[in-house]
Amino acid sequence: MSPAVAVMAKDLRLAWRDRAGWASAGAFATIAVLTYSFAFDLATGDVRPLLPGVLWTTFLFAGIFAGGQSFARESEEGTFDALLLSPVSPTMIYVGKATANVLAMLAIEFAQLLLATILFGTSLVSPELLVIVFIGTVGAVSLTTLLSTMSASMRGRAMLLPVMALPLLVPLLIGAVRATAASLDLDAGTAPWTLLLGVFALWSTLLSVLLFPLAVER
Amino acid sequence: MITSTLRNLYGWRWLAIPPVTGVAVMAMIIGALIVAPPEAIEGDVQRILYLHFPSILAAYGAFAVVFVASIVVLWRGDLRYDAVARGAASVGVLFTGLTLATGALWGKPVWGVYWTWDARLTSTLVLFLIYAAYLLARAMADELDEQAARFAAVFAILGAFDIPLIMFSVTWWRTLHPQPIVLRGLERPALPPEMLIVLLIAFLGISALAVWLGVLRTDTELLAKRTAVLRATIDRREGA
Repeated sequence: MSPAVAVMAKDLRLAWRDRAGWASAGAFATIAVLTYSFAFDLATGDVRPLLPGVLWTTFLFAGIFAGGQSFARESEEGTFDALLLSPVSPTMIYVGKATANVLAMLAIEFAQLLLATILFGTSLVSPELLVIVFIGTVGAVSLTTLLSTMSASMRGRAMLLPVMALPLLVPLLIGAVRATAASLDLDAGTAPWTLLLGVFALWSTLLSVLLFPLAVER
Repeated sequence: MITSTLRNLYGWRWLAIPPVTGVAVMAMIIGALIVAPPEAIEGDVQRILYLHFPSILAAYGAFAVVFVASIVVLWRGDLRYDAVARGAASVGVLFTGLTLATGALWGKPVWGVYWTWDARLTSTLVLFLIYAAYLLARAMADELDEQAARFAAVFAILGAFDIPLIMFSVTWWRTLHPQPIVLRGLERPALPPEMLIVLLIAFLGISALAVWLGVLRTDTELLAKRTAVLRATIDRREGA
């Protein structure tokens, strides 16, 4: 078994055993969608123009929240130091952790899409939209995984992570919201925005894979 | 050879930089307020350009220094370059803020609004936020925390590589949207020579000021690191 797969399996097993962490991220996402629906009165009128923004801000906040939490536990228990001491390349550790986070985030996002489909009477589970959500999640989580590793050992990390992550994620947010809007026929053509999203996902994955070993080297 | 020349130059910083800065900034103020002619349409408001434009160039320069110093931190593990990066980042954030503020002051009389979500304004704001986050992240850890210095360096490199993507995506985001009418008068004719000369002097003054502030901040950071080392040593001796 490749070390990356082992790290991923370990993270997913931990996430499953200690469901509270990811469950609270899921609960947070649900409550965020509900909060938006009260704030913008999504119950009446045509809600579809607002949906892409509501969904993606929820996904990003939930992702940052969950990512920060998963690493906080690791640094408290000293697991992360043990992982770094093991004869496994840091790149493998990063790939394993990022994959586990992407999978967990996708589960939360899929649940939110189903929920929003029911709540807002708009079909959100189309293949096109699922591809957009997948690419956007890879792009966002690869970056937040790197940033949450780094901020895990810092004071005030709960505040720091969103402050660091969100400005960097501006291109992703723009691309994801526009591509989602286009897939709901609110905007012209998904292609350019999906391309922007794809380029960002590629950029953030490559750069995170390259920078992670440098960040944790000691 | 090059390092020793650089070190000698750095030793002269207190003699060389402040007078140059003082003279250049005075020349800039006089040039911008008295020598330069008022602009035909905008009038005296246009004089803010002499502060606005050099400020953003100085900020870009400072962020370039942050980028290079961050690479050296990761490559050599030398914490002195962490001090350089922090110093340059604070100068960059200061001058980006100054650019945004002077832009808003100019925008109100000319465009009719302080702020508009134009592509260039938006990407400058994001730039400001990224480096403010960098300073926050670095300030939340100890001066001597090498790990934190590495993290901050990684974040600075991420931020630098993100800038083209941000500019591109924000431009796309705005241009596929209807443009506000107020922005249409933006294409200004080439500057007349008197204005260009004042702008050059202003650029010199602001650059010198930026270098001076950067050096001051870097020295402060280095002193803070030394103080932290000394304090740790004293604590150890007293404990023993």
